[in-house]
Parts: sequence; C-alpha cells; structure tokens
Amino acid sequence: MANIMKEKDYKYTPELPEEFKCKVPLPGTVQAFVTNGILREEITIDGGVSLKTHSGNGFIYEAKEGSCCKESLQVISFRNSQNTNDISIENELYFRKGSDSSLLLCTHTLSMDKFITQEVVNIEVEEGAKANIVVMQNEHNASTHKVDFRLSVAAKACIKINVITLHGALLENDFNVKLRGEEAVCDLNGLYLVDGKQRVVTDISMNHLVPNCLSSQLFKGILDNSSVAEFTGRIVVAPHAQKTEAFQANHNLLISSNAKAYARPQLEIYADDVKCSHGATSDVMDQEGLFYMRSRGIGESEAKLLQQLAFAYDVLEKIDSERLRKRLYDLVESRLRGEFNHCENCSMNCC
Amino acid sequence: MLKIKGLHASIDGKEILKGVDISVNAGEIHAIMGPNGSGKSTLSSVLAGKETFEVTSGEVLYKGVDLLELAPEERARQGLFLGFQYPVEIPGVSNVNFMKTAINEQRKYKNLPPISAAEFLKMMREKMAVVEMDNSFSGRGVNVGFSGGEKKRNEIFQMAMLNPTLAILDETDSGLDIDAMKIVAAGVNKLKTPDNAFIVITHYQRLLDYIIPDVVHVLFNGKIIKSAGKELALEVEERGYDWLING
Repeated sequence: MANIMKEKDYKYTPELPEEFKCKVPLPGTVQAFVTNGILREEITIDGGVSLKTHSGNGFIYEAKEGSCCKESLQVISFRNSQNTNDISIENELYFRKGSDSSLLLCTHTLSMDKFITQEVVNIEVEEGAKANIVVMQNEHNASTHKVDFRLSVAAKACIKINVITLHGALLENDFNVKLRGEEAVCDLNGLYLVDGKQRVVTDISMNHLVPNCLSSQLFKGILDNSSVAEFTGRIVVAPHAQKTEAFQANHNLLISSNAKAYARPQLEIYADDVKCSHGATSDVMDQEGLFYMRSRGIGESEAKLLQQLAFAYDVLEKIDSERLRKRLYDLVESRLRGEFNHCENCSMNCC
Repeated sequence: MLKIKGLHASIDGKEILKGVDISVNAGEIHAIMGPNGSGKSTLSSVLAGKETFEVTSGEVLYKGVDLLELAPEERARQGLFLGFQYPVEIPGVSNVNFMKTAINEQRKYKNLPPISAAEFLKMMREKMAVVEMDNSFSGRGVNVGFSGGEKKRNEIFQMAMLNPTLAILDETDSGLDIDAMKIVAAGVNKLKTPDNAFIVITHYQRLLDYIIPDVVHVLFNGKIIKSAGKELALEVEERGYDWLING
C-alpha cells in the first residue's frame, strides 16, 4: 500500500464514461446513478422498492410496507468536473413496516478536482423492518466527503450497515443512531484503508432510548504512511433502557510509524441492568505471524499483505451477500497491493 | 547436509546459545532434548531465521551454503522447514490458499510455473491423508479455532505439502494426546527418505518411541553436553538430566 496510488484524470463527457457501463454486474442488482447529487433516473423495482428524486439534491429510497425485495439496489453516486462547487446532498431512506431489503451505496470521484461534498442520509427503519446497507467509498486524493447518517430504528427493526472506505483525502462518516422501539437491533461495521496523507473520521453516537435493544460496532483500519484515522464512539444508555446490550470495538493496524490512530470510546450508561463493552487497540504488524508465513517460503511483502487481509477479514465477513463480499475482498486486496487504479480496474463495475 | 559449528546466539543482549555443534547427514533423524530454558527453541528459531535472535559467532552450513546469510523465506525455499511449537493463527486466509501461496512462491523461486489446480488438489488430498486430517480443514482459516492437536497435525500436513529436505520439529509433541502423537509420528515416518533429514526437538522420550532417532543430543545451558545413539533418550527418561549436568 506504500505505493502512492496512481490517479487518473477523467475528462468530462456528457454521457457516462465507458468505465461506468456494466462490465460484470452483480447478479440480482439494479443500478442507479447519481451525478453531482442529481439522480439520473427514477427507478422502481418489482417487489416494492423505489428510488425517487429528492426535492433538493439527493434521492429518496423507499422499501414499501411488508415488501421483500429479492433484487438489491446499487446507487452509484459520483462527482465529476461538470460541477466542482461544494455541494450538499440530502438522501432519505425509508424502510417501511415489515419490509426486507438491501442497498449498496457507492461514492466516487471521477476527476482530481478539489470536491467538497456534504451529505446527509436520513434513515427511518420502521417496526419489524430489515435493512441491509453496504457503503463503499472510493474517491480521489483531492476529495473531501462528509456523510451524516441519521438513523431512527423502531421496535423489532434491524439495520445493518457495513462501510468500506477504500480511498479519499478526507472521508468522514458520522452516525447518529436512535434505537426508539424495544428489540431494535443496529449492527454497524466499518473498514478503512488509508495511506499517504489521507484521513478518515468516524463519529458514532449510539443512543439506546428504550429497553431490550442491541447494538454492535466493529470498526477496523489499516493505516500506512502519514495517514490518520479518528474514531469516536459514544454509547448512551438512557436511565430506563434496561437489558440493553451494546458492544463496540475499534482496532487499528499501523503499517508505518508515522501513521496515527485516535480512538475515543465513550460510554454513558444511566441504566443499571445492561451489558456493554468497548475495546480499542492500535497495533503494529505481528512479527511472529510474519515469521511463520516466511518460514513457509512466503516472501516478506506477500506475508505482510496476507496479514493485512487477515486483519480486514472479520469486517468483510459481516457482509451478508457472498458475491458482494467476494468483490469487496478483491477490491481490498488490490488496494492493499497498491495496484488499485481508481476506476479503471474496478471490479465493482460501478466506476 | 547441516553443519552447525560453534553457534552463539543472543536475544536482547542475553546469550542463549553458547557454542552449539551439530552435524546432520541426509537420511538421519536427530533428536534434541534438554530441560526447560536450555535453548532448544532458540536453536530452531535461529536455524529458521527468526530475526529477533542475533547470531554473535559461529557458522551454519546447509547443503554447503551459509544458512545464516539467507532470509527465512529463502531458507524455506531451499528446503528448510520449521514445525512451530506454537503455530500462528491466520484468520481469513484459508489453509488451501495459504498452502497454494507457499507452494507457488517456492516454485517461482525454482523457476517453475504455478501449480495447476488439479495437481494441487490431488496433492492436498494425499497429504491430508498422511496426517488423517479431515477435508473440512482445508477451507478454514489457517489454525483458526484448531485445537492444540489439530494445529500440530496441520504443521505436519504443511511439512508434507512442502516436502522439505531438512525439517526441524520444535516440540511438536507438546500438548498432544497419545493418539495425536502417533499420527504425527506416523506422518514423519512416512515422509522420511534417504535424501532428507529431521531434527526433532522434544522434552520427552515418549515421542522417540515412535520416531526412532539416529542421534540424540542433550542441550543444556546453550551447549550440547552429550550426543549418543537412541539409548541416550531412554537413559534421560530414567535418570533425568542431573547426571549429565553434574557429571
């Protein structure tokens, strides 16, 4: 990963660049494109999922009440040199009562312009709904992108978000989660890979407002060169939110002695019958593990790569779709190999 | 095949090996015994190239080459194998992929093309049978969730896959029940040929009932204090080390 990524500057074309056309689409996935915050085409999928234009920039996603959508929607949101102004995007995601659906959100930049993007994602998970969201972020080294996820989770609803942050100058993901109904579940996981002077910020506020809810956070990062990762994870358990289970873990692997990881776990527990835990670590490569692999004839650089992949593994394992998991695993591997040529070789076919 | 002469090694300035001399020929099995802290594991780590140890003097010739000049992976590619006392877990890297990577790195070193999928699978099956390992192990992360015995069996399996010229087994018998030990020993006996050699490091004579050594060395305080035939192991079992240390 120590190689500085080769950046490719795409020229503006009124049509989607060739790279955007489906090379190998994930089976069972419907794709939608958002250019500089503007949804190109509204989409309705059989099974009760729709994607519509927001009154401002952004989109409105809705999984209808009781719907169970077999097809997964992939929203590919990118910035290009058509609009280099700072932009704000507001998206709304509604997972209606008893619905069950999956969403893949990919964000990219197609040029080296100094984009600044502010994005709000309001997520409403209604009673008994199941929402499965994977976020994949892969932007140029001049891009600043802040995403504010605001979640409201009703009784017996379950939301899982896995954020895979591959590349970008400054990527910030903030989560404000309100578990409003009993037996709500929020599973929040992230993997960030940073090098050069990149910075990734994660700020979580997990609010257990009622009893019997479960939240779990696993965020891991691999940091090379002079990169920085900041993780702030606050868990707040309200006074009457008994039988809360809340877990949090943040682990960082520092490849370079100049990389910095800041972890700030914060627990505010006002109820007395809860199960909460947190753990934060920053570690360097495991020399014993590297020696083990080298003693089998595996070269030092390959051994280091295997160890990084092993480190990233348990976050990727949280992704339910096997096909998507495999692709993201490949993306992570090529990113760690330093072969990751933005867009051109992207096996996600979303860029 | 292996000539160790006057080997001194230290860690953090503390001398552990204080002049070890051992000579191993092709077709031989050597056992190294000794009480805790005598330097057995240090010797195996130094031979395999662990960088936390500093070799302060002495030489090690392996097939006529200065072994100490080589990186751990180069030693492995030239046919040296170390079976770990504490095998490392590598989550997310399956046994299959781990072995495929290792074998292909060795083949690359020998200017051979990568192994074909069919050939590799056939080899996996054959070698897993050697240590009576269930096929389900192949898809699991390297050593992840393996019991102590399974980890040691996996070491022997890896050894079988890599087909080394010189294998050093560092307390492979520790933590094994008698059945697992028999399987491990049978694996070693199956892999033994007139062209390869084994160094078996052990605390107990027990393993040597199943792997019959040609030479037994007793290592104490960083030095070989006695070398003799297999009967030495029995004598140690009966009398302990004191008579050798004080004698």
